[in-house]
Amino acid sequence: MPPAAYTQIGSVIQDASRSKKLQLLGILSGFAAGAWLGAAEAPTKLVSIGISPMVISLIMVIGVFLARWSLPALILGTSSVRADVRRAPHLVIWALLAGCLWAVANTLTIFAIRDIGLSIAFPLWNSNSLLGILWGFLFFNELRQAGWRRWTGVLGGALVMCAGAALLAVASSTAAPAAHSLRGVWAALGAGILWGTMYIPYRKAYLTGMSPLSFVTFFTFGELGMMATLAVSYLGLAPLWRELTSARDVLFWLMLGGFVWVIGDVFQQYAAKYVGISRGIPLSNSNQLWGLLWGILVFGELHGRGVSTYTQVIGGSVLMMLGVGAIAFSSAIGKEQMRWKDAAQRESQRYGVSADYVEARMDGRQAAGELKPSRSALDWFLVAVATGIFAVFAAMARAPRLSFHWGPAAVLSAATLVLLLVCGLKLWRTTRFH
Amino acid sequence: MHRSSTNQINTSRLASILTDIHFWVPVAVLMGGLLLLRFIR
Repeated sequence: MPPAAYTQIGSVIQDASRSKKLQLLGILSGFAAGAWLGAAEAPTKLVSIGISPMVISLIMVIGVFLARWSLPALILGTSSVRADVRRAPHLVIWALLAGCLWAVANTLTIFAIRDIGLSIAFPLWNSNSLLGILWGFLFFNELRQAGWRRWTGVLGGALVMCAGAALLAVASSTAAPAAHSLRGVWAALGAGILWGTMYIPYRKAYLTGMSPLSFVTFFTFGELGMMATLAVSYLGLAPLWRELTSARDVLFWLMLGGFVWVIGDVFQQYAAKYVGISRGIPLSNSNQLWGLLWGILVFGELHGRGVSTYTQVIGGSVLMMLGVGAIAFSSAIGKEQMRWKDAAQRESQRYGVSADYVEARMDGRQAAGELKPSRSALDWFLVAVATGIFAVFAAMARAPRLSFHWGPAAVLSAATLVLLLVCGLKLWRTTRFH
Repeated sequence: MHRSSTNQINTSRLASILTDIHFWVPVAVLMGGLLLLRFIR
């Protein structure tokens, strides 16, 4: 065999090994996203006083806004965000659009829970993963030429997860459905459609090469802008301000919930980047399982409930884990990966983004000639401001009196932190957070 | 000369966005969501 053929074979093997590594990284990111998005519910459970759901949502989004600027500044520096935007400025529009979609979906879930209860609402909006699979297939060549085994794994896994989510939601619901049931069903379905569609901008950005850390910094303007507009238009400026000042004791816990949520969301973005939305969304939806673990083990929810409730919890959890497993073992390889590259090439040509940049970033690498990310005084300033704001609210906060089990809290926190460390280190070593 | 080529790039980018189905699907869903919110309020 001539030496050139050896080189070619070596390069193919290297590509396949890199691609497998990125797929595993995406799956690990999906698991970490589930854990952190689930843990984000813990601080909000400390808030049991009667605050309007719209205000709770707005305060969490303020925490989210602070985290979405300070974390990227700390990890890569804003110079890297600016460089990404210069290469693909059109993606700012999609980031804003995705933020608006998130805010409207989140508000719809509030109405859905009010009208039909969590047990019916949750499985309805959890159908976002099925819509994500559809958009991924239609627009981004996901699951094309993937073979029936992978199709069964992804679609079957997502359906099994939806069934598991339904069982968990029934078990964890405490309130009976209220009036306006049809309205509630529409609200929950609407939230699922909005959240499922929100992943179109995600996938578009990552196929074009943008770093998830850059995308979220613009996403959050759409999110905060839309949420603030909705809160003001629903409640009015003066009543909103009154509610905010009267809730100052608990603002910190809600903002902390938002901060923890952002860490989960960043992992979710990396999952969407490296395994696509058809696999990334269902994997991240395992957050319901983690949220339930926090609720049952740490906050003593479901205490004293009958055997049937616990059977539903165990059955729902097993179904969710089976679904997650099926999806995790159906990662994209070979021909499907080539179809992803076709979709990326189409984006690169349409928007005039350098093909080398798109290819390098899809491969989790820096493009040739790209400057190494570095932090400036502005980045440290952003981190200091966000930390200062959190410190001020922490000083005002009061620990509420409620049943809290420290042992399970320590175990769950440790597990979540281990996932952060393992996945964070793996992302750093493999992709330098690109 | 430089300004005219920058304008040209911006115009073509805007045209690419406005003729991209990836733009209109999320916009339509967002509009639908806002209408739904108004209806169920």
